[in-house]
Amino acid sequence: MSRDAILARIRTARPPATALPDIHALPFVQYDDRYAAFAGLIANLGGQALQLAENQTIRQAVAAHFPAHGRLVDLTQAGHEEADSPHAWHDVDVAIVPGQLAVAENAAVWVSTPGNRYRSLYFLTQKLVLVVPRAQLVDTMRDAYRHIRIEEHGFGCFISGSSRTADIEQSLVMGAHGAMAALVLFV
Amino acid sequence: MKDDSVNHARAARDFLQDHAHASWHDSAIWWVRHKRDVQAAQLPEWEGLRELARQIKAHTLSHLDVYLQEFEAKARANGVMVHWAADAAEHNRIVHGILAAHSVKKLVKSKSMLTEECGLNPYLETRGIEVIDTDLGERIVQLRHEAPSHIVMPAIHLKKEQIGELFQRELGTAAGNNDPTYLTHAARTNLREHFLSADAGLTGVNFAIAETGAVVVCTNEGNADLGAALPPLHIASMGLEKVIPKLEHLSVFTRLLARSAIGSPTTTYTSHFERARPGGEMHIVIVDNGRSDILGRADFYESLRCIRCGACMNTCPVYRRSSGFSYSYIIPGPIGSTLGPSRDIKKHASMAFACTTCGSCNNVCPVKIPLADQLVAQRARAFDAGAMAKGKKGGVLALRTLLGHPKLFELAGGAMRKIVPILPERLNSAIPYSRPGRELPTMPAQSFKQWWQQNRKKP
Ligand code: SF4
Repeated sequence: MSRDAILARIRTARPPATALPDIHALPFVQYDDRYAAFAGLIANLGGQALQLAENQTIRQAVAAHFPAHGRLVDLTQAGHEEADSPHAWHDVDVAIVPGQLAVAENAAVWVSTPGNRYRSLYFLTQKLVLVVPRAQLVDTMRDAYRHIRIEEHGFGCFISGSSRTADIEQSLVMGAHGAMAALVLFV
Repeated sequence: MKDDSVNHARAARDFLQDHAHASWHDSAIWWVRHKRDVQAAQLPEWEGLRELARQIKAHTLSHLDVYLQEFEAKARANGVMVHWAADAAEHNRIVHGILAAHSVKKLVKSKSMLTEECGLNPYLETRGIEVIDTDLGERIVQLRHEAPSHIVMPAIHLKKEQIGELFQRELGTAAGNNDPTYLTHAARTNLREHFLSADAGLTGVNFAIAETGAVVVCTNEGNADLGAALPPLHIASMGLEKVIPKLEHLSVFTRLLARSAIGSPTTTYTSHFERARPGGEMHIVIVDNGRSDILGRADFYESLRCIRCGACMNTCPVYRRSSGFSYSYIIPGPIGSTLGPSRDIKKHASMAFACTTCGSCNNVCPVKIPLADQLVAQRARAFDAGAMAKGKKGGVLALRTLLGHPKLFELAGGAMRKIVPILPERLNSAIPYSRPGRELPTMPAQSFKQWWQQNRKKP
């Protein structure tokens, strides 16, 4: 076992102690209009933000945004379908997933669902719809981390727009491995 | 794996033979540096954030044993298996042991400079395990049997025509179609199959949180997530310097990482893995491999603050004009040029000289590592270890003599002012990238001392 030898080496090598800073002492950026900041950013990150209209259901908004689609899974509905293996979502075209909170500074949405069961769905689906309560839109990551608890579900992810890559000559391409399109619906 | 007998100056000269390509490489990477500046300018607190990041990392390194033990205890309580590896060989043995115990035939990997450092792929391949790198850039260099030339943009040294040809051969894409979107989606389809049929996934680790035992992985492609969510076995390999004290500290690091790395406000996915997926198993391998040695060196331990954003290479005038393959260590650019020589000064001495000491890396580094200063200190080590190139060593010794003898210095200065303007290379040095070595400055008519005596000595 190398564990104890490594820890012993660190103990003799470590530099003199310094203090841990208070990260809350520094003022972070604040937005007058968080929704506008979020919506403006996500448009450049392979996504779109929409405010659900009055009298409009989530499904109506999704149908308007992605008119023709294949298999749809809607985790915001009670009694939605379950999968017996993470692979079973491989042919999902549209996934509607509840997001707990959104961040204005980087257009990210925190996604973490009970039981850690739907993890693969967020990344296998071709189009991802995240449904977030408008009241849960915060300024920065510092505000976000105040609210989230990973231990709730054992896994959580900030998702900002579509899966993307610029690995070929720095050309930005949407749809590397995960969703090719993203829609954030504020309700 | 990289050939560690590479000499930076020689390899850079070869790279610069293709002027057009070298110039493209330079400006493509400079563009990323520019995007970083645009992002930094949008946050009034940017410099304050860098300072916080520096302080958090400095504090953690000074209590590293404490935080690693806390992290281990929390991860174990979450049902995660934690392993410790003293060096690359032990890391590879541990990973292979876990894979063999699960009869794994195919492993999907996301980006991990640590596994490159350890040479994991060839180790597993010779033991009959198929290893698929899934980050697009890493997949490209894997298919070409190359190492990554940049830590964030592994295939930045290649033109799309080369990738088109490669994919035609390996993935059956249409001949002559070099459209990046077409090629990316062809790789997507191919790699989906691998994700769905893999027996295990291995990811790197960007941050490990002592407070909760979670590891955080940042990608734009989503490959780490598919690799960790689909197969029943997830292994995360991390250098022991990746630990941070608390979850809230991610509010500093996630704000700096993608802005510094690619000039984007965040990566698409910032995933926090704390427990295995239902029915699955999760392992974390904590690797030392020379890091505890660096921790004990007053001149160099600050390099352990690195969050591998790549900003220092994007800004580096030498990296941009010489490419990652000119560096003998697996990590190129300023950070590689201190880590490599720290590991083995004899092998990687030439890297310490791949630097103009302009200090731009110090100014962009999100955790404020004094990189340029470390490179100067590494040069001193290269001299002491007798690992300096002969000509360079001669130059240094001659300069020492000159600087120690003022009369001789004056004499030599006078001679230089006459000889340099008539050197043959001076006469045809108009073509960029064509000149060997360093450009000599325009020679003044007189020395500063002479000028001073004429102009300022008068009462
Ligand atoms: S040394 Fe600093 S700038 Fe370079 S990769 Fe590491 S964190 Fe980024």
